[in-house]
Amino acid sequence: MVFEFKLPDVGEGIHEAEVLAIKVKEGDSVKEYQPMFDVETDKAVVEITAPVTGVVDKIKVKVGDMAKVGNVMITFNTTGGASAPAAEKVVEKETAKTALNSSAAASTALKALGQNVATGNGKGAATIEAKAPTFAGPVPAAPATRRLARELGVDLKLVNGSGTGGRVLKEDIRAYAEGIPGAGRTIQSSGTASPSAHRHAPAARTGSGSSAETLEPLSREPLTLSPFELPDFSKYGSVERVPLRSLRRKIAMNMAQSWTHVPHVAHFDQIDITDIEHYRQKHEKSVASHGGKLTLTVLALKAIVSALKKYPQFNTSLDEQTSEIIYKQYYNIGIAVATERGLIVPVIKNVDQKSIIDLSVELADLAQKTRDGKIELDRLQGGTFTITNIGAIGGTGMMPMVNYPEVAIFGMAKSRPEPVVRNGEIVIRNILNVTMSFDHRVADGAEAAYFVRHVSECLEDPFKLLLEA
Amino acid sequence: MPRTPIEVPHKIEYLSILNEKGEVDTKLEPKIEPKQLKEMYRWMLLARRVDERLLKLQRQGRIGTFPQATGHEAISLGSIVNLKPSDWHVPAYRELAGFLYRGWPLESILIYWMGYEEGAQPPEGTNDLPIAVPVSSQLLHAAGLGMANNLQGDKNVVVTYFGDGGSSEGDCHEAMNFAAVFDAPVVFVCLNNQFAISVPIAKQMKNKTIAQRAIAYGMDGIRVDGNDVLAMYVATKEAVEKARRGEGPTLIEALTYRYTPHTTADDPSRYRNEDVSKEWAAKEPLIRFEKYLKAKKVMTDAEKQTMEEEIEARINEAITNAEEATKHPPLSDPLVMFDYLYKDMPDYLSLQRDELAKALGISEADDSKKNEASTAKRGG
Repeated sequence: MVFEFKLPDVGEGIHEAEVLAIKVKEGDSVKEYQPMFDVETDKAVVEITAPVTGVVDKIKVKVGDMAKVGNVMITFNTTGGASAPAAEKVVEKETAKTALNSSAAASTALKALGQNVATGNGKGAATIEAKAPTFAGPVPAAPATRRLARELGVDLKLVNGSGTGGRVLKEDIRAYAEGIPGAGRTIQSSGTASPSAHRHAPAARTGSGSSAETLEPLSREPLTLSPFELPDFSKYGSVERVPLRSLRRKIAMNMAQSWTHVPHVAHFDQIDITDIEHYRQKHEKSVASHGGKLTLTVLALKAIVSALKKYPQFNTSLDEQTSEIIYKQYYNIGIAVATERGLIVPVIKNVDQKSIIDLSVELADLAQKTRDGKIELDRLQGGTFTITNIGAIGGTGMMPMVNYPEVAIFGMAKSRPEPVVRNGEIVIRNILNVTMSFDHRVADGAEAAYFVRHVSECLEDPFKLLLEA
Repeated sequence: MPRTPIEVPHKIEYLSILNEKGEVDTKLEPKIEPKQLKEMYRWMLLARRVDERLLKLQRQGRIGTFPQATGHEAISLGSIVNLKPSDWHVPAYRELAGFLYRGWPLESILIYWMGYEEGAQPPEGTNDLPIAVPVSSQLLHAAGLGMANNLQGDKNVVVTYFGDGGSSEGDCHEAMNFAAVFDAPVVFVCLNNQFAISVPIAKQMKNKTIAQRAIAYGMDGIRVDGNDVLAMYVATKEAVEKARRGEGPTLIEALTYRYTPHTTADDPSRYRNEDVSKEWAAKEPLIRFEKYLKAKKVMTDAEKQTMEEEIEARINEAITNAEEATKHPPLSDPLVMFDYLYKDMPDYLSLQRDELAKALGISEADDSKKNEASTAKRGG
């Protein structure tokens, strides 16, 4: 007979899982408890073993698929009933019974279960026959609501509850006390809905809805608000569909979050790094003797923290639910690192408390571990601001996206010698193009311009960096 | 009106007899019959294999969420073997070895984690309470049972279990204080596995040990290597004998490490350094106990192999029995869940029962006919 295996809830309240590995093939003979799949839920990676002994008939998922709980993942041809193989084993090992709980003890226990239930069940049935069920339970309402009802002299039983499952809300009590007939439901449909009804209503995403509605956080899926219906690309040539997996999927979610939540503004500037580059090269070797790598990014870390102290609005997060700006009194700077698997942003903690040598050592270690996929989880969390440096590759500038829920990101392009005007004359200087993207809800363009100017001055004049950092 | 010091006893012992290499301290080594030593190992191995199988069953969707007990076998078994059947076993939820040793059929344990409360019914003839999920609530039951034992003068002892997280609960304080004040014959075994779900012990308490709290309550306290079954045996034996003599409660802190996730719904790599977990793996209780038994020539490789085979067969058999049982009444009948709580079913429950019957498409007539039939069959 055919046995279908459906994805169970492998965690607690899991709805879906990504298939990471499939360890059996169609046609394989598998034994019960033989490893079958690795799947990743939002909680953990878990191994699923075969629930039966049999031959794999169809595998209905591919690596990278998001399977929903209840979806058939694999089917088996089994001989006899699904649990037959285990039963056969029992017969084989019949002689193996020992001082362990014997099956006799077990069957006694199961019989005892039955007897116990028989007594209980009889009583239950008798009760039902004897009495017509009339609901006499308490009216659902919060303690504060109950107090309001007492204060206003309202009998809760007479009020129509407009909350979930008929729960009586404060509004219902007030409406009843004011003599509005049929209180609860009337209120809900007339627009001055109860808070709970409001929360569950789909958020208005267009038009001039209140900010609370437009800022409703995105749910985990789908990725976009309404997925765009794509044309059939294969009409024009061959295509390959590759599932959005693991890290790529997470990046996609994060970017969609950032783009939909943050009104981005980008500010551009140029920094003359001729002098600091000279010092950098001069001290590179001595830093290397400490095991560090003195890069422009390390110096930028110091300059950024100095600017963040002066302009703390860029070291914040916006709490959309309470309409508050959260100022962080620590300076943990994320560094965007390109890896084979995708972009990862490890964090250097407490940059303000570390020397340039310390930072050179830590950044080198952080970047290497990240590229090797060995970065510790706690070094990926807690960032307050991000730097992204694409200088090693090239480009004259870019507009980086804010690493939400941070509010600003500093981008560095490739530095190069360029002709610039100094004191009315054209000279060749080493120029670095930089960009800062920021969340316009918490800061304005002028503030960003001051911020970037401060960073520029620190990097243009090493002595200023020494003074400020 | 002077300012004078008050003398308070302030020393707590740490006890370890069998170290992680399987070397025994012969001065402290308890005298246990070779046959009994082997039996102790067998129960611990059974608990380990059951735990591993439960995890596979959970991932296959055949049982629900459950807390693993791998690595905690020595604490549960080393202590429980000191009890008589008439003594009280008041567990938390990682005492799998203790449940099995006390005669709970493996089928009951499986049925419980499949979601049937019928699996929580203690076996006849033992004084056991079922698993306590609400953290530390069982300590109050244990203290109350101990006080009741004193009132009845029956010389029975209570052994109860809780975790380091449980030790931070108010219930824990109340239970220990009452037990101490009333000289209740209770042994409090704290399974300190260093994590309350995701909260490490350092974020739970400022004190060096949990055991030292015993001093404050005026009872004896000891910290024990919780991966050392011999140390657990000795410490609990002393505490049980003392309680039976009417000399009051003891707090045993069994120091171990939570080798597994908190439950099957947890991923500890998100909140702890799993390199530390690997260091602890070498200290787990079965490896050292096996080395000890082999060095003492109590158990051979062949005997262990036979043990493994018997255990596997028994587990397979129990799974078949348990899954079969769920297909038939009473387990297959969801309506029986309404029958246990009250002697006379309140109106609101019978209303819910009827709603469920309707949703399941069981008509009132079918329902009562089935009840009559099954009552007749079971009653006869």
